[in-house]
Amino acid sequence: MNNLRWKIGGHALAVVATLLLGGLLSATLVRLAPGFDADERELDPHLNTQSVQALREARRHEHNIFHFYLSYLNHSLHGDLGTSLALGQPVRTLLGDRLPLTTRLLTTGLGLAWMLSLTLALSAAWLRLSIFDVFTTVVSGTFLCIPAAVLALLSVLWNLPGSLAIALIVFPRTYRYASNLLVKVYSRPHILAARARGLGEARILFRHVVPVVTPQLLAVAGVSVSVAVGAAIPVEALCGLPGVGQLAWQAALARDLPLLVNITILVTLVTLLANSAADVIGHVVQRREI
Amino acid sequence: MKRKERQSEMMVAPCWKAIAAAIICLGSLLGCATAQASGELKFCLRTEPKTFNPLKVEDEASGTIRYLTGGVLVRVNRQSQELEPELAQTWKLSKDGRQISFHLRSGLSFSDGTTFSAEDVAYTVQQLMDPALHSPTGDAFRSGTGNVETKILSPTQISIRFPAPVAGLDRLFDQVAILSGHSPKKEMAVLGPFMVADYKAGSTVLLKRNPNYWKSDEQGRKLPYLDSIRLDIQPNRDVEMLRFKRGELDLINSLDSEYFDKLATTSPQLVHDAGASLDSEQLWFNEVAKSPIPKYKKAWFHSANFRRAISEAINREDLSRVVFHGHAQPAAGPFSPANKFWFNAKLKPQTYSPDGALKALQSDGFRMENGTLKDKDGNEVVFSIITNAGNKYRERMAVLIQEDLQKIGIHVNVVTLDFPSLIERMTQSFDYEAILLGLTNVDLDPNGEMNVWLSSSENHQWNPQQKTPETSWEAEIDRQMRAQASSSDLKKRKEAFDRVQEIVVDQEPFIFLINKNALSAVSTSVHGAAPVILSPQTFWNAERLAVSAK
Repeated sequence: MNNLRWKIGGHALAVVATLLLGGLLSATLVRLAPGFDADERELDPHLNTQSVQALREARRHEHNIFHFYLSYLNHSLHGDLGTSLALGQPVRTLLGDRLPLTTRLLTTGLGLAWMLSLTLALSAAWLRLSIFDVFTTVVSGTFLCIPAAVLALLSVLWNLPGSLAIALIVFPRTYRYASNLLVKVYSRPHILAARARGLGEARILFRHVVPVVTPQLLAVAGVSVSVAVGAAIPVEALCGLPGVGQLAWQAALARDLPLLVNITILVTLVTLLANSAADVIGHVVQRREI
Repeated sequence: MKRKERQSEMMVAPCWKAIAAAIICLGSLLGCATAQASGELKFCLRTEPKTFNPLKVEDEASGTIRYLTGGVLVRVNRQSQELEPELAQTWKLSKDGRQISFHLRSGLSFSDGTTFSAEDVAYTVQQLMDPALHSPTGDAFRSGTGNVETKILSPTQISIRFPAPVAGLDRLFDQVAILSGHSPKKEMAVLGPFMVADYKAGSTVLLKRNPNYWKSDEQGRKLPYLDSIRLDIQPNRDVEMLRFKRGELDLINSLDSEYFDKLATTSPQLVHDAGASLDSEQLWFNEVAKSPIPKYKKAWFHSANFRRAISEAINREDLSRVVFHGHAQPAAGPFSPANKFWFNAKLKPQTYSPDGALKALQSDGFRMENGTLKDKDGNEVVFSIITNAGNKYRERMAVLIQEDLQKIGIHVNVVTLDFPSLIERMTQSFDYEAILLGLTNVDLDPNGEMNVWLSSSENHQWNPQQKTPETSWEAEIDRQMRAQASSSDLKKRKEAFDRVQEIVVDQEPFIFLINKNALSAVSTSVHGAAPVILSPQTFWNAERLAVSAK
């Protein structure tokens, strides 16, 4: 039990440290990006010199990145995540409005990807037909080669849901690992012996295969969340889905520092939590096994 | 025989007349039926609206919502380009151009039922002229230092006095949506045909018919005809086009020429080319003294002969034909011929003549050596043109210009940068040689471009923020622009701005290339649409549009 507490504590510490560092790194990168200090509004011929100067003045506090970051941390501790420069709205509202869609998109996409991966991987392990192996390898290899943006464009063209694009981006990565793992486990002597004794496939699966593969699949599940989060940016941007991914794209184009720092921290948090959760659950499952 | 023929002709004539009359009657019946139709109009906003406060509008999406929801005192008719009464029945400008008096309509209410009066106009003007607002709409009225005075003469009469003359003062009120000074709903209480009913961030803005809108049509039916307008926020133009084809959208404004042609081949009845718009595409050289470019290049760019030669060497007809598939016109100067009143009709687009360009350059000491142009000090004439990445039309234009200039021995490098980087180089670091960019012009009045032409301004892009004009022709432009801005005599203003246009065309600080055509697509289910060149092209008469079931 103590061991588990230490593990959770270690993970929590790592999450906080990575978040702080990730936020600072993201802020520094945006600050150093070309065009950081430019504002498209300055080109409006109606604006007089005073208004253009006021626009420039509004960004002045962001010039010193450490000052900006400390001020950001201080405000965020009080629940104020700042205001988007490009959209002129509080970052908290922007994220709050868009998070549900991205959550739905990712959940559905990941669910579909895992369903497809496990179904095909189990079929491959059960059937052990070389033609089936070749077929699934070609299918997953093809999807692995197609860039995320192309899959997103195809889903727009054929009027398919964005979650399907996410699923097809994640699927080849999870399928290959799950398939290899299941084939290997199904070739173990005790499983072969169980089959020879006439044990049902369901019993073999749940009693002898699932406990063995769960910790490793959980680790892949953690990684698949990061893949899906990364894929959400092109998918949402190209499919015109108003989620956090689209917001991240807009923020990057506009060098919107407050928005980008918050999105980076959010994405880092989701990725770290997914990986940590996978690690902790895997640890618990392994302990139970022992 | 002849008589018989004539008799039969005479018999046929009334018969045709009867048929024609029947068709006309049927047409008007159908017209009435159409007018009775209402429904929901659907189209896209290409960005998220930054604000619903009409006084703070600075982006196109917020401008669209302001146009559809805001009630204005006067409105520029987008078709005739004439100023028409709206909330103000009449208005009068003082001779010195500093004061305007409005006689307002009585008995009008905001969408929430709050009564409209001169107090609301005074409140709006005071809010708009707040120096801390920094809105483009407010800045357009700021011609001198001092406060704006509003005087309420009666609930339907108000006079507004500005500290200095404001050119085209009455037309500026086209952009000023009147706010209620008393409504608890603040800017959400509107006087326009529609009101914001729902907003889903990043997704849609739903506008519903304003039940208190004051206008009726000729038959006495209350306007607007539409029940609602659904504005989908869709930055991706491919998706917008796909959705239009699927029938999920009713309109597309500012259609790309490529999409226009694709749509025209399958459904020619859906597309509209209203002719040259006010928008222009132009090229300019960096003339900023402190810019980090070699001195000899600065000398080229400062030479009017060099700029004229470049202008002469660019084939504008080709740009129009190849890049815009013929949906653009070679530009004659700063204002497009689409601007009926302010365009200087004496100006003609620069004729393409590489030989003429070469002669002009030779007179400046340039010489051709083995197919490469060199200046009098032997420097090869090489420069880069930067433009914004992702704008395929500008990228193609830059490539064509590169090819044209290669013919006179000039080597051009085309560099594409993302927009923030380009703006930074253009406005802060001045680290560029030439820029190819466009100017989206929404104003008919030249006063809207005051900050482009005045040498002291931030937007005088080829050489901004000059303490005193660095050239005599810029001093002359400053003088003429100020003269037109301080005069209330339209004829004198026109003369002054005609002179500005002539100087610009002669000196070519901006090499105006083409004026894009105003292209749009309108579904056949939309009735009453008459796309025009002025923004908003397709829904300028939104209150009279109707949508029938598909």
